Amino acid sequence: MSTDDLEADLTRNTENAPRELLTRSFFFLCAALSVVTTLSIVGLLITEASKFFSLTAPLMGVAGETANLVDFLTGTTWQIHSKEFGVMALISATLMVTFGSAIIALPLGVATAIYLSEYASPQARSLLKPALEILAGVPTVVYGFFALIYITPALRVVFPDIGTFNMLSASIVVGIMIIPMVASISEDAMSAVPDELRQAGYGMGATKFDVSTGIVVPAALSGIFSSFILALSRAIGETMAVTVAAGAQAKFLNPLNPASYLEGALPMTAAMVQLLTGDITGGGLAYRSLFAIGLVLFVITLIMNIISDFVARRYREVY
Amino acid sequence: MATEQDSSYAQGFGQVSRTAGLIFRYLLLAATMFGIVTLAVLLVYVANDAIQPLTADAGWHLTFFLTLVLPTILVGGALYRRNREALKLGGMVVGALLVSLMFSGGVAIVFIDIIPPLTGFSYAVGLVVAVAGTVLLTKYERQIPFTARVAATGLLFFLSLFGVPGYFHSIPELVQKAPVVPTDWIILTLVLGGVTALVVGQYIARVREDNKAGLAAGASALVLTALGAIVGPLVGIDANALVVVTAVSFVPTAAYAGGSVITREELKPGLVFAATVIVGALVGAVAVDALGFAGPQAWTDWQFLTSSHSGSAENAGLYPAIGGSILLMVTVAALSFPLGVGAAVYLEEYAPDNRFTRFIDVNISNLAGVPSVVYGLLGLGVFVTYLGQATGTVLIGGATLALLILPIVIISSREAIRSVPNDMRQASYGMGATRWQTVRNVVLPEAFPGILTGTILALGRAIGETAPLIMIGAPNVLFNLPTELSSKVSAMPLQVYAWSSLFASEDFYTKAVPAGVVVLLAVLLAMNSIAIVLRNKYESET
Repeated sequence: MSTDDLEADLTRNTENAPRELLTRSFFFLCAALSVVTTLSIVGLLITEASKFFSLTAPLMGVAGETANLVDFLTGTTWQIHSKEFGVMALISATLMVTFGSAIIALPLGVATAIYLSEYASPQARSLLKPALEILAGVPTVVYGFFALIYITPALRVVFPDIGTFNMLSASIVVGIMIIPMVASISEDAMSAVPDELRQAGYGMGATKFDVSTGIVVPAALSGIFSSFILALSRAIGETMAVTVAAGAQAKFLNPLNPASYLEGALPMTAAMVQLLTGDITGGGLAYRSLFAIGLVLFVITLIMNIISDFVARRYREVY
Repeated sequence: MATEQDSSYAQGFGQVSRTAGLIFRYLLLAATMFGIVTLAVLLVYVANDAIQPLTADAGWHLTFFLTLVLPTILVGGALYRRNREALKLGGMVVGALLVSLMFSGGVAIVFIDIIPPLTGFSYAVGLVVAVAGTVLLTKYERQIPFTARVAATGLLFFLSLFGVPGYFHSIPELVQKAPVVPTDWIILTLVLGGVTALVVGQYIARVREDNKAGLAAGASALVLTALGAIVGPLVGIDANALVVVTAVSFVPTAAYAGGSVITREELKPGLVFAATVIVGALVGAVAVDALGFAGPQAWTDWQFLTSSHSGSAENAGLYPAIGGSILLMVTVAALSFPLGVGAAVYLEEYAPDNRFTRFIDVNISNLAGVPSVVYGLLGLGVFVTYLGQATGTVLIGGATLALLILPIVIISSREAIRSVPNDMRQASYGMGATRWQTVRNVVLPEAFPGILTGTILALGRAIGETAPLIMIGAPNVLFNLPTELSSKVSAMPLQVYAWSSLFASEDFYTKAVPAGVVVLLAVLLAMNSIAIVLRNKYESET
């Protein structure tokens, strides 16, 4: 804080010279652009989505076809041609991908984080960390192709009646994709646990296993939890892998029923891509439904990001 | 009860079972390896589909084993035992050659096919004139007030690059209308070779601490580049292409190898390793040709890289998509780099600690979590619907992707700026520097490698994005290279998506798509390795 004041004092005489003014306003505009971006996203999604619902369309001065808000939020059939917009069919598929990828990514990610922070030698760490970064760096459309061409045929050996497009393969690749996210954030939290706590554990005669599971993990719990939420939010917003691998037929499936993972369905993001690749005209009902789904998606991921941020801040143990 | 427990503790003391710990440890290791191994297996599958190494003659494999693999293992093994640093340099030289070859391919597409050499040259001349004028203006820094100088510089650039239609010809126009214009290869030699000569000359002058040596190195770089145009037709390679490859790949790699050896004599054996690999590969290629051994029937081949989409998977190619990806990258970099760095500088150096700053802060981390498909909607809604731009052009594709990676660029640039020690800033202020002078002369140069690393990684993210491009209406099939900011654009991942969904067939699944995936991953790998090398160099220096 004091250095800030010092710098302000040292530069006070020159701060309104034309050159300083010009450069400072440029930098300020750059920073303000992020706020403009957010406002445009929110504004655009709300105005376009409100033209979609019969409840709000008159306010926007839009005549013509609209959809019922309650039907949209509770309906379980998504059929563009018969004008049935039940977003629950899409949300159920998104939930399935989220559950499925969570089952893979959360345990593996935390185990990776424990290994990297507690067990791995510096040499192993310097090899494993870039390798894990590669997992997150592969384009998602490539993951989708892998799921469709290599993983689904492999799964067919175990489950003979699995569909060409299925939620299982999509969940597996999305899970692999988000492992690095869980691992790196959790590892940061575990590395932040002070060594004194570990040494106190060893002093009591605890083994490395006891220290890892009994001291480090509980102490880093808030960071681990926040990494879970962030990774799941990423899985929800994941687009190309599910578009390629999960299928094109909207279906309402029960996310808790393991058998339904062998079928294909249409997650929210994939539905948006499908709407755009089909020939919809600007201004039509289908075009506006795009923004309605976008709004739901944006709100869900925003809430999850905020929760994750809140958990990381509020429950962080300060040493 | 209590005594029983005590005795059980006493018995267990000293012989703690290690089984649970060991099992746990190996379980953790297995969990860590799961994702990596799965991806590795998938990559082997896709590479096998794309390159089909098993379709080559046995003699082909044997020849390359004898000329390339065996010598590399022998020389590499000997170096590994004696001089590991030299081996590292050798590996770096080979890697630099591969990466720069790939990069020079991109440069060749831009400067031969997208921008006709003459147009590029005319704008280069205009730019040189404008920059020369600006330098002249800075000589009179004290006499002319700052605002007048900025206005004059702006006017100078505008007049020399665009002119005033009807009154005043711009310099590019004048150059294009000149009665005698240089041929394409001379232009490429002057422009690309000139830039290379400048960089190489400065680099050599720095490592040799001798300006004359730098001048000589720069001159020989220019001569070598020109030589490319003369040698090219003799060996059956297009003169223009060879000039670009020489200027962008061969000369810089040679300069890097030479420069490293000058500074550290003991690394010289590393060059032997690099020579073994390069000569081995060349000899092998000549030998299999002479002996008539057929190579693998790879789908990722020259035909695939240079032709456009086709209804049959055998003839389909990636060329327009590669060109589109390059143009998108240039646009994204040009937009996101200044904006992202500017925002980072504001937040780290200027921003007062108030509510608005904290709001921007939270806002940026939330923007980083917004799904890419929503950014696509933003591009569609704002650029296409509200601003009335045509769908799927290079400009709106680039702008959408730039907005997408902006939060990542800002966050990594902030980290780089934050790692500049405060003492350096205060030393600068103590010398009477203003805030902008401190930012320009101290903070940005110090933070530059870190900023560059973060930007390259973010660009790597942008090059793999598909969903935003679909949302803004980029066409699934494009037969011509985009040449302007307003032409329709395709991109490598978009083409891969189109092949694996719209043209879904066994043929495309096993031929065109794996080939496209391999190209896309190779480009990403090259970009990431540049970033990692930069980061390691930067971290070891500080």
